[in-house]
Amino acid sequence: MVSTEEQTPAQSAPAEWNKPWPNIDKDSEEFWDGFTRHELLLWTCSTCSAQYWPKTYCIKHENEPWAANMSWQPSSGQGKLFAFNVHHWAFHPGFKDEVPYTYALVELDEGPLISSTMVGRMPSNADVGKPVKVVFEDHPEHGFSLPHFTLIDD
Amino acid sequence: MTNTQPDLAVAGLGVVAGAQPDRSQRMMAAEAARLAIADAGLQISDIDGAVDLRRTGGGGDRGSYSDAFTRVLGLPANFYFVIGRGGALAGLGIAAAASFLQRGLAKHVVLVGAVDDWSKSQRTKAQGHRGMAHAEKEGYWGKPLGDLRAASHHSWMAARHMAVFGTTSEQLGAISVQQRAWACLNPEAKMYGRPMTIEDHQNSPMVVEPYHLFDISQVSDGAIAFVLTTKERARDLAKPSVEVLGQGFGEVAADIWWEKKNFTQMAVHNAKKQAFAESGLGLSDIDVAELYDCFTAEVLFQLEDYGWCEKGEGGRFVADGNIGPGGSIPTNTGGGLLSCYHLGDLTGFAEAVRQVRGEAGDRQVPDCEVALSTGHGGELVSPGMCSIHTTTLLGKAA
Repeated sequence: MVSTEEQTPAQSAPAEWNKPWPNIDKDSEEFWDGFTRHELLLWTCSTCSAQYWPKTYCIKHENEPWAANMSWQPSSGQGKLFAFNVHHWAFHPGFKDEVPYTYALVELDEGPLISSTMVGRMPSNADVGKPVKVVFEDHPEHGFSLPHFTLIDD
Repeated sequence: MTNTQPDLAVAGLGVVAGAQPDRSQRMMAAEAARLAIADAGLQISDIDGAVDLRRTGGGGDRGSYSDAFTRVLGLPANFYFVIGRGGALAGLGIAAAASFLQRGLAKHVVLVGAVDDWSKSQRTKAQGHRGMAHAEKEGYWGKPLGDLRAASHHSWMAARHMAVFGTTSEQLGAISVQQRAWACLNPEAKMYGRPMTIEDHQNSPMVVEPYHLFDISQVSDGAIAFVLTTKERARDLAKPSVEVLGQGFGEVAADIWWEKKNFTQMAVHNAKKQAFAESGLGLSDIDVAELYDCFTAEVLFQLEDYGWCEKGEGGRFVADGNIGPGGSIPTNTGGGLLSCYHLGDLTGFAEAVRQVRGEAGDRQVPDCEVALSTGHGGELVSPGMCSIHTTTLLGKAA
């Protein structure tokens, strides 16, 4: 299962990407492809409709070989703010111009937890549990898009 | 005492502490192993097994450097292998070495872990990184998004506990302050002679909010080694025998990996149950707790998870001074990862051995019969959990 492909983008892509590269492997390739179509995909069981992230065998029943009853399906892209932090230090030089930034753990409406940076209005502790939705940052020149979350303020 | 306790004892301890800018990890490991063997009153020729405690051991890789300390020290070991998972080193190492000792395949096994994180961090600072440059495993999700280091995701656990239970930064600071008080009784600690107040904690730079700098563990060089043998052999050696009374292990992934309580608890439940059952002991038997403390909230969680206070009550419990010198449960009595040095769970394990032996100097907890040492860590379990928890109970020979 060990792949060396993940190292190739750093050698072949344009040099101006100065952050760590997405860690795309054989289990997450389709999931990352979904971002370029502005879809947040969840790994979904065709037998019982349970939804997961990241890839896993369905825990609710016996599985077919290679989790063949599972596939990536679009989610609502919505959830609730579960926890967040604010990075004041740039641990990597590519984030020097972005600190302070807010990094959040989001509980998707379908159940799984996922994480990314917040954009738009920055949350306070009173916003924990409030609704959020996914938005996308496209980098077609590098072949990927990045998801972020934003508070749904109404 | 029940008869299910393992036939295992720690016979020797060797510690290399402090910045070692001119020394390799293998030399630090070799020196710590030499000290541990001498501490036990043994000769190098008595050692017939060697275990290398590495944070990357759980990945199944070879040792992370060539020419291991066994060759450097000339150990006549019949086996040498690498084990460890993040900060879970001593606990896993004991469980693995036990098999060789109890089947009669070895008489004295030396286990050693070494790090040169401090020296490495000084070099990577020049490249623009803050602290160590850090490579994550295949499949790690958040790096291009800004989830860069342990503080990036561990801080959620503190944040979530604050959101659910109303825990405050000052309460987390009470952990740092009390551990610093212990460190000020330990001349080996990095922060010896540098007492801290809650105000100091609150005024320390915000790194990843809610974590201030003083909520975060040290970056260290050093090595810790110990000699593991059977109880009977240990009784005949130079130092008071420290027996392994019981162990247990837990994984968040076993508790269903999306279990959202895993952001306000650690994988203590099964580990605690196994260790108490094997040892025949309970919480009230523990005189000293060496709790894995990569960040302050991990200490808070474990105080709750082991049962010294109710879930959600940890903030008030630590603010009342229960874990410092004179407290109801002396915790991380050498200063811990926060104020002594960061050699994974070996920091607390070495301190537990010293407390049980009665060798802890000014910080010695009176009548210490039983010490708890825990381990924690490993590769990130999506979306932000550290998986393993290890429980090891050490005590005086009966």
